[in-house]
Amino acid sequence: MQLTGMLHGARLLQHVDFPASEVLGPDASEGEIKDLIKRHGQVFIKPLFRGGVGKKGKSGLIGKARDLKTALAEKERLYFAEHRHGNAVAKANGVTFEGGVPAEHEIYFSITDDTRFRAPTITLTHKGGVDIEELGKDEITTVPFDALTGLKAFVIANALSDIGAPKEIISPLVQHLPKLWELMHHYGMTTLELNPIRMRADRNGRLMPVACDFKCGFDRDDPRVARLNLPDHLFAADVSAFEQEVNELRTHQGQSDVFVINEKGTILAPTFGGGANSLVTEVLGEAASISSDFGGNPPYEKMKEVARICYRHFLRQSNVLFIIGGKSNNTDIHETLRAMGDALREHFGVHGPTPLYVVVGRGGPNLVRGFGALGETCDALGIPYRFFGFDSAISEVVNYAKSIDDWMKAGGRDQIATHLGIKPATL
Amino acid sequence: MQNQGIGGFPYYLGINSLADVATRADRVCVLNILGGESRQVTPTSHVFSGGNVVFGTSPGRSGQSLKTAIGNIPVYNNVREGLDAGHAFNTGVVYLPPSGVRDGVAELIRVNPDLKKIVIITEKIAVHDAREIRAMAQGKGVDIIGGNCLGVADSWSRTRIGGALGGDHPEESLLQGTVAVFSNSGGFTTTIAQYLSTEGWGTTTLVSSGKDVYIHYAARDFAHAFRNDGRSRAAVLYAEPGGYYEQEVDFGKPVVACVVGRWKSKLTRAVGHAGAMAGSGDRAEDKERWFMQAFGVDGLYTPENPIVSRKGAVVTNIAHIPAALTAVMKLSGASPDFAPRGSLSLKPWIANDQGIELPAALAIPPVTAPEPYAAQIAELAKQVGVVIARQNMKDRSGASVMDSKTQVTSVHGISVLDLALEPLQASFALPLVHEIAGPNDGALLDIAVAAEVNLVGDPILVAADAARDAGNSPNTVMAAAAAVVGPKRVARALACSRALIDLFAGSGLKDGRDESFDFGHVKVDEATRALFMAGADEADDPRPEAMLKAVRQRGGRSVFLKFLEALGGRPSRDALLAAISTTIAWSPLVRKRISRLTAETLPWYLRLYGVMVGASIPGDQHQPGSLCGISREERFGEWTMADLCFLAITGKKPTEDEARPLQMLIGLLISNGPGSISAQGAKGAVSADGPQTPDRVQINKAMVGFLTHTGYSHGGNGFEGMAFLLQQFKAADLKDPTDADHGLDLKAMATAFAKSYKAEKRSAKELGGEMRALPGVHHPVFKGKPVNHDPRERFIADFLAARGNYNVFHAFYRELVQALYDTGATPYVFCVNVDAVIAALLLALLWKDYKAGTLTERDLETAAFTVFLYGRMIGAAAEIDDHLNRGRNMDTRTPEAACSFVM
Repeated sequence: MQLTGMLHGARLLQHVDFPASEVLGPDASEGEIKDLIKRHGQVFIKPLFRGGVGKKGKSGLIGKARDLKTALAEKERLYFAEHRHGNAVAKANGVTFEGGVPAEHEIYFSITDDTRFRAPTITLTHKGGVDIEELGKDEITTVPFDALTGLKAFVIANALSDIGAPKEIISPLVQHLPKLWELMHHYGMTTLELNPIRMRADRNGRLMPVACDFKCGFDRDDPRVARLNLPDHLFAADVSAFEQEVNELRTHQGQSDVFVINEKGTILAPTFGGGANSLVTEVLGEAASISSDFGGNPPYEKMKEVARICYRHFLRQSNVLFIIGGKSNNTDIHETLRAMGDALREHFGVHGPTPLYVVVGRGGPNLVRGFGALGETCDALGIPYRFFGFDSAISEVVNYAKSIDDWMKAGGRDQIATHLGIKPATL
Repeated sequence: MQNQGIGGFPYYLGINSLADVATRADRVCVLNILGGESRQVTPTSHVFSGGNVVFGTSPGRSGQSLKTAIGNIPVYNNVREGLDAGHAFNTGVVYLPPSGVRDGVAELIRVNPDLKKIVIITEKIAVHDAREIRAMAQGKGVDIIGGNCLGVADSWSRTRIGGALGGDHPEESLLQGTVAVFSNSGGFTTTIAQYLSTEGWGTTTLVSSGKDVYIHYAARDFAHAFRNDGRSRAAVLYAEPGGYYEQEVDFGKPVVACVVGRWKSKLTRAVGHAGAMAGSGDRAEDKERWFMQAFGVDGLYTPENPIVSRKGAVVTNIAHIPAALTAVMKLSGASPDFAPRGSLSLKPWIANDQGIELPAALAIPPVTAPEPYAAQIAELAKQVGVVIARQNMKDRSGASVMDSKTQVTSVHGISVLDLALEPLQASFALPLVHEIAGPNDGALLDIAVAAEVNLVGDPILVAADAARDAGNSPNTVMAAAAAVVGPKRVARALACSRALIDLFAGSGLKDGRDESFDFGHVKVDEATRALFMAGADEADDPRPEAMLKAVRQRGGRSVFLKFLEALGGRPSRDALLAAISTTIAWSPLVRKRISRLTAETLPWYLRLYGVMVGASIPGDQHQPGSLCGISREERFGEWTMADLCFLAITGKKPTEDEARPLQMLIGLLISNGPGSISAQGAKGAVSADGPQTPDRVQINKAMVGFLTHTGYSHGGNGFEGMAFLLQQFKAADLKDPTDADHGLDLKAMATAFAKSYKAEKRSAKELGGEMRALPGVHHPVFKGKPVNHDPRERFIADFLAARGNYNVFHAFYRELVQALYDTGATPYVFCVNVDAVIAALLLALLWKDYKAGTLTERDLETAAFTVFLYGRMIGAAAEIDDHLNRGRNMDTRTPEAACSFVM
């Protein structure tokens, strides 16, 4: 769950009284934009992306304007801008207008949980605004601090000394930066990055830090995020309808983590255990419709509901139903296989039969009972199956599932359809 | 008071050697010991470790205890209470829910000065809390393992702390050896240990580290303890992307590192392992590089390309770990710990390709699983028939369902409209075997039921006649008869079917009709043989021979009948009944479509069908060897169920044109879903006997339950339509209702009635009275359109029209609904409903006899009711069997809150 941009960033910063540039949203009136330009002399027009968006290559996507006409032209140019980052393409939906902050100094500041120190860590440089990866070691400082005591003023002061920061920025930064820890720690963030913070001079020449960009990441498992009352739609772009349905079942008792890999995948693989999830997703690749972890000993009803949702979205297009996990440590195999079998029976009852091959690789408590229950269901429905115990290499079982999928694609699916009495038109 | 850590580390680290991670000296306190997961796991850990849990906490549950095989573990409200009671511990295990973990850790640290380490099992801990936990533990000097982990275990000291490593039987996977395991995945920790044993490698210490953002006991910490552990010659690391934990770690001794998760670069969200979302620089590929640098190899190890060095190897497939380790260790001349145990090749335990041909490479035959699983699987295979989980079955049915749009009911997936087109006997076994009987099974059913219909000399007939003479409705008469057919009356038949199933269960027989099956290997002992043979009381009963003769005459095939005949001697009627029922039930039983209980009880239903039909025929018609004047030989040898039912209603043998409409009628009436009162009666009767002890359920009593829950309004109202038609056609000179050239002006008749009905309606409105509903017209679901249709009526009408069958009463109804609209009596054209069809068909069948005076109106009414009962008893059988298999005792009871009192 990530958030980028000053539209929401400015409001969040307000929670801890950290100064931010003035921002108007996409529905700003021309009069408001004109006033903004008047007050600040220059405005920046930035496209609004949902979720996390990398910085590389984004510079072409910032507009500058000193008059209303240019501002509106930039708005038009950037309103639906596209930005490619990694494997994803983000599409903007709107722009923000941000008052320019003239400054001599641009600061980069971030807090994150650094795994090298296993502690919250600040990264700070007064040579901000640019790509910090290009800076020399003595120009940027990375300092862990104690989570219980928090980010104290002296930590900032020491850090600024270490990089030889100009003295006029020390006092204002020492005064304001610690507040950002309050924001991060008490509102469920895992990362917070402001780049740049511009040091604006007041009438007397005293400098004040003004945040001109904002990026943060939230911890899905932290209820404190709710204190911010952020609207759900901000993070909704991350998630497909299917993922949302399943993740709604996410409780402490058994995971229900799921991610759509390929909407047209032909292997539906409910997986148990984070490790199995990793391995299975890796090996199945695009053949898989989802990457999932349903482990943690979910009770019968929950497992059945999860299965029902998965079947509803993906079963018709699937060749293989592949239930896979290692030797479970506490998940009851009978409960989970019975639930998935019952959900399958009900699905067939409501939607009619669909050609399917069931492959299971599993180990754990009540294993054979579970095999028995699922086997009976498959027998009753007439679908073929093969069950492997924990003494078969899990990676080989995954390869087997893939081979079955290939065979299905090469005519096996039709054979099963005939056996089930399904007319070709409905396949 | 701060503990002193190991020198040379920029943070606190207390564990100096892997041998200290999980020792027999460690004393453990479990927070939230009575929680769901701990309840399952802690006792096993405690027993395996020789009793290392000294107490646990659970607020408000002080005084309770957790049972284990070696004694109870006391529970206190909090840690201080436990310490005050005299217990001492150095290790905490946290099973608290995510929001409580941080404070639990604080409690352990603050309250117990002797605390050395904590294992946190809980997953989904907020990063906020993880930060503070780290800071607190570092501040005090306490080692933490986890969060989101499965704890630690030691194969040498036979100790397990925290989670469920090794599952319920840790002694199976924790084999003593020389390899240490450190894994980000809890489940894979055990899997890796198992895999290692296939190459002969055992384990020393196993650590499940979890994969949260904060890994409190990480690779660097493990590496230090590993270097100092003399028992461990090598280690296996399983790492996922995210975090710099594995960068520049010096292990000192050989390590195989497995890095899985290249695909995670695609993710924008963590799945399963919160910390396994890499940013940049700590992706799977980066970690592979770190390890390759540390080991001095330039590529990954695969079986095709086994790149290793003395320092280690990097794999991305866990199946390659064992071979990679052996290869690495070989370079220093080291060999595995013991002879290889098992292998990782594909070994299916259970498979069924359902007769579909797979390519040889995929059609891997099942192997014998390791014990104890092999024995469990053998038990499964012995099980004949399906086993159904029980649940509350009030107002629920696995046998019938009504489509709310079309109001058409299906029984075991077949709609009653389709059943109406099948021969009647094809539907008789449907409720139990879930399949329509083909011609062979149909013929056998005809004989089996026919053998039960003639009740001459049986007290049942006395009871039925007495009920009839007392003026009871047809269902009550049938109920009196069914009530007599109690457990003792079917005990021997049921024992025979049970014996037949036992005898043939493991035989490989797939189809009861397969007379080529060689049953030579089926051995019968004396007692069972005697069970099948007719006793002295049956010496004068000609029916066994008559039945066998009829089977030959009709060309019926049955392995079980052949088997009985091969025993020599004279089989009893009960044995023959059981043989026929088992023939029909065998294939669905073996294919696990039905339960063993259903197959065993089928004879009871067949006997009940026969008795109920017989009871509907007055006593004087039952004579030795003949029924209504028709000989036994003829009935057994040629007659169908529909023929018998027609005989019962009219006393005559039907022509084919007469049998077919009756068959359709009865089929249509088979079921109206579990909500109908008749179904409720049947289900309630089963529920009251208690289906969870199926031997005590009196199936005949359940039939009585169905019968008593029909009546003049439900089931008997078929006559209303007939009465209405009789009135309309009173003055008409109608000779043959099936002849289209009847010369009547139906339109005029309809219009005349419509006008008078409209007038009646108007005056009733003025007087404030209730207007009578017209039978056969309108329906609460099929209404509102300008012209309405009942799909069931349409179905029958279309079918009959296609065959050129005409029915004047039906035609009249069509005119009627139009006329009602034309005269303004109804706001739109009502549908002709299925009751109209039933009335029209039945009246047409009985018209000639009625006109001739052989049948009175009372007889017509009885006939309508009886036809309903013939159909509905099939649906009732379905509900009874369904509830018997699926229901719970007393489940049809309505809770008090759903009832109310009325003044």
